[in-house]
Amino acid sequence: MTNLKCCPFNKSFEINKFFLVAFILVLGISSTARAGGISLPDTLQIHGFASQGYIHTSDNNFYGSSQNGSFDFTELGLNASFRPFSVLQFSAQLLSRRAGRGDEGDIRLDYGLVDYRFYSNEAMRAGIRIGRIKNPFGLYNDTRDVAFTRPSILLPQSIYFDRARNPALSSEGVHLYGDRQFDFGDLSLQIGAGYPMVEDIETERAFLINDQAGHLDGKLSYIGRIVFEQDGGRIRLGLSGAWVKMDYAPGTADPVGAGTINFNPLIFSAQYNAESWSLTSEYALRRIEIKNLGAIPDREQTGESVYFQGTYRITPILEALVRYDILYQDRGDRNGDNFALQTGLPGHLLYAKDWTVGLRWDIMEALMFRIEYHSVDGTAWLPLLDNTGLPSSERYWGLFSILLSYRF
Amino acid sequence: MRTFIALSILICIATMASVTHAQEVVVHPTVLQEQISRNTLRAIFSKRLQNWPEGTAITVFVLGDRSPLHIAFCKQILNVFPYQLRRAWDRLVYSGTGQSPLEVNTEEDMRKRIANTPGAIGYLPTIGQDDELKVLPVQ
Repeated sequence: MTNLKCCPFNKSFEINKFFLVAFILVLGISSTARAGGISLPDTLQIHGFASQGYIHTSDNNFYGSSQNGSFDFTELGLNASFRPFSVLQFSAQLLSRRAGRGDEGDIRLDYGLVDYRFYSNEAMRAGIRIGRIKNPFGLYNDTRDVAFTRPSILLPQSIYFDRARNPALSSEGVHLYGDRQFDFGDLSLQIGAGYPMVEDIETERAFLINDQAGHLDGKLSYIGRIVFEQDGGRIRLGLSGAWVKMDYAPGTADPVGAGTINFNPLIFSAQYNAESWSLTSEYALRRIEIKNLGAIPDREQTGESVYFQGTYRITPILEALVRYDILYQDRGDRNGDNFALQTGLPGHLLYAKDWTVGLRWDIMEALMFRIEYHSVDGTAWLPLLDNTGLPSSERYWGLFSILLSYRF
Repeated sequence: MRTFIALSILICIATMASVTHAQEVVVHPTVLQEQISRNTLRAIFSKRLQNWPEGTAITVFVLGDRSPLHIAFCKQILNVFPYQLRRAWDRLVYSGTGQSPLEVNTEEDMRKRIANTPGAIGYLPTIGQDDELKVLPVQ
C-alpha cells in the first residue's frame, strides 16, 4: 500500500488546493442530499470535518510561530463508508492536517479498510478488519484528529503527544474484534498485527535525537485494547497495549548502525459519565528500548503519563473542562536531574505538568467553538520541529487557544 | 394572584406531561420479533448490532440530538444520555469501523421512513392503530 505522505512539498500545495475544492464540493453535495435534493442509498455514508485553530504561547512554539499568535492549525477530513451487506463494510478517510512544521497539510489516507463481521447474534459479535486501520489506543486515539470527539482543543499531551504522532495514528495489517453483552456490562476487544508508520523525520528525531542519514523501518507490530462498559457507558474501563518494533536502515557512511528500537506503551483508562458531568483519567507507561545502533548508545527507559479530567455540562450546549496532565519521559529520572548532570541540558526537557481550563460551545449540532488555556511547567511535549533551540526553551509557559469546527 | 398561581401550576403540569410523554419503539411490520430487551435495544441504537435474528439488516432512524423526543427516548427507554450515543457513533464514523444511524428531521419523516424500509427501527410518540408500523414492547 502506498503512503500518501511521501508527496514532495511543492506538489502538496497543488494537491491541497485540489483537496479543498473536492472537500467543498462534497460538503455542498452532502448538504443538498440532506435537504432532500439528492438521495444517497442508505448503505452509503459520507462524513467530514473542518477545524481551524489559533494558538498563542507566552514562550516556546507550539504549531508554528505561536509566540506571535499562529493560525497554523487546520484539520480537514473527508470519509466515505459503504455497507452493501449488513456484515460487510468498506471505509476510507482522507485527512489533511497543518500543525506547525511537523505537519504541513499533506493529504494522507488516514484509514482505508474492509470490515467483515463473521459472527453476530443478539449478545455477541465478532469480525475481522483488513487494510490501514486506526490504532485502538486509549479513549481518544481512534478519532484524535476530529475536534468534535476530543474533550479539549489539544488532547492531553502526556498520552496523545503530537511529537512523533505518526506511529500512533494507524497501521497497515489485520485486526480481529469482538464484543459481548453480559448481565454485568459489555466487553469489547480488538487485537491487531501490522506495520506502523515510522518513516517521518519527527519520529526519527524523537527516537534517534536527530534526522539521521538512514531511515526507520516499521516491523511487524502488535496492538490490543479491551474495554468494559457498564450501564450503556456510564462506567468505561479500558486497557490498551502495543508492541511496536522498528529497525534502523543506515544511510551511506552512517555512524548509526543497523539496530532495533522496541516501543511498548500501555494505557489504563477510566471514565464515569453522569448526565451533566464526566470524570476521566488515563495512566500510561511507555517502555523504549534501543539496541545496537552504534553511535547511539543502548538505552532502556520507561516514560510515565497520567491525567485527571473533569467536564461539566453547564447547559446542553456549553461544557467546561478542567484537567491536570503530567508527563515524565523517564520515570527513573522524573525531574531530569541525572539528565541535566550528564548532558548539561535543562532537566525540564524531560517532564511537563499542564493545568488546562477550557470551554466548549456547541453553536449548532454541526458547529462548535472552543476556547482554552494551558499553564505548563516543563517542555517534554514541545514539538521538536517547531523548536529548533529546544535546550533554551522556557520551563514555565502558557498556551492560549481558540478553535472553530464544523462537521457533517 | 390566585389566577397567576393556578396558571403556573397548570403550566408546570403541562410541561411535566410533555417531558414524560410516552414513546414507543417502532419497527417495520416485517420484523418478526414481538418484543425486545433493553440491552438489545442499546446494542442496536449504539450501532453494534446490525442484524435481526432472521438475518435482515437493521436500519436505525433517529431524530436530531436536540429533539425532545430523542432525548426522552435515550433517557427513559435506553437509559443512556444522548451525548453518549453521539460519542459512540462518532467513534464508528470517524474511524471507519461503523456507520451512524440515519437522521430524520420530523416525526412524520420517521414514520414514513420506517414504514418504507424493511428491517427499520426507530421511535415515535404513542401511536394509535397503524398497519404500516409495528410497535415493539420493551421488556
